[in-house]
Amino acid sequence: MLAKRIIPCLDVKDGKVVKGINFKGLRDVGYPPELAAEYERQGADEITFLDITASLEARDTMLKIVSETASSLFVPLTVGGGIRTAEDMRNALNAGADKVSVNSAAVSNPGIISECASDFGSQCVVVAIDGKRVGDHWEVFTHGGTKPTGIDAVEWAQRAQDLGAGEILLTSMDADGVKTGYDIPLTAAVADAVDIPVIASGGCGSKEHIYEVFAQTGASAALAASIFHYNEYTVGQVKEYLRDMGVNVR
Amino acid sequence: MPLKAVVADYGVGNLYSIRRSLEMCGVEVKVVTDMRELLDAECIVLPGVGAFDKCMERLKPVREDLVAKMESGTPTLGICIGAQLMFGGSDEGQEPGIGMYPGRVRKLPCRVTPHMGWNTVESDDPLMDGITDRSFYFVHSYFGDASDASIVRGTTEYEGKDFPTFFRRCNTYGTQFHPEKSSASGRRFLENFIRFAEGCL
Repeated sequence: MLAKRIIPCLDVKDGKVVKGINFKGLRDVGYPPELAAEYERQGADEITFLDITASLEARDTMLKIVSETASSLFVPLTVGGGIRTAEDMRNALNAGADKVSVNSAAVSNPGIISECASDFGSQCVVVAIDGKRVGDHWEVFTHGGTKPTGIDAVEWAQRAQDLGAGEILLTSMDADGVKTGYDIPLTAAVADAVDIPVIASGGCGSKEHIYEVFAQTGASAALAASIFHYNEYTVGQVKEYLRDMGVNVR
Repeated sequence: MPLKAVVADYGVGNLYSIRRSLEMCGVEVKVVTDMRELLDAECIVLPGVGAFDKCMERLKPVREDLVAKMESGTPTLGICIGAQLMFGGSDEGQEPGIGMYPGRVRKLPCRVTPHMGWNTVESDDPLMDGITDRSFYFVHSYFGDASDASIVRGTTEYEGKDFPTFFRRCNTYGTQFHPEKSSASGRRFLENFIRFAEGCL
């Protein structure tokens, strides 16, 4: 039986992890390759790096970090943030990423999804969607959740699938950072509307939240940052809890 | 003398993880873009990235020689697409496959595809010896529909159905899962394969 995936996400800026992370015994707590390896030891099913670097010059630093991470990591690595072209995607894959997520660029140029899918295969094309409730539906926002697009999030997820996306990384702008749980209605709506895996993201503040999103939606994976970074739980502890609650995890 | 493995580079996707994983098992790895070099290998690895036709474009000129080499007992490991290439053909493409495994690669008859993530392999093959957690990482939308059940060495359940995910004919193993992405279980699997390959020499 396919296990539900737990994916720690690291925000990386200028080659360093941004949020304060507090692990014992690590030489450099801000060093992404070492943190990724620690999460693998804890039982993480995949690792996601989100490049929040603003400048183009720092992209090379990110690629260096990706290749250093890939050489010592033996679970899949997804890289996202600032992917604008198929060339950006190729660079990240060549550096050692297994999957690349594309967000704003896919909205302004949906052709990038099909281009990347046919060049590299659907399995490595993740379309990241930031959705926010507007009236009776959810709207896609881009550029870090600052720009409304007028596009319906559920319809966009379906279109991304049709264009060749292999997976959807769905972040709720309403829930993100609030730590009161994943956006269950949004996640359920998208997971029901598409036939590709959906990763729930935004709002995770406890292990119970991860259970809820698996129990109440068709999400295949849950992405979380702070609950792991601040050592509230290890990935292993979360999985033990999920297993006790009857969720199939590795 | 370390085992020398030759890894096929079909020109698509990164070979980082498989290269690193094999090296960590003490293997001397050579990555080749000229597929004729596979024919001199003491151990062949067909890695798991790329689309069926793209990979076969490169392999097509050597496919018959490759089958002869594998049938002569050269230890070989095909991973994911590398395992699918062993079959006679695939619904994913037009090109014929290598033809080492009897059967055809078909689309997974499941709602959510790709089948992506960690799933269990049911197998009593010696390559699984010492692996307590039989969870491996999968990412695929097609599966090898073997027409000879004796080549199937392991199966995996997905959406209520069992699919063959682990194959062997002669000394040619094929895994639908990615051992190089499967953390400690994958590492142990590769170590077992390396020991097996050394025993074939």
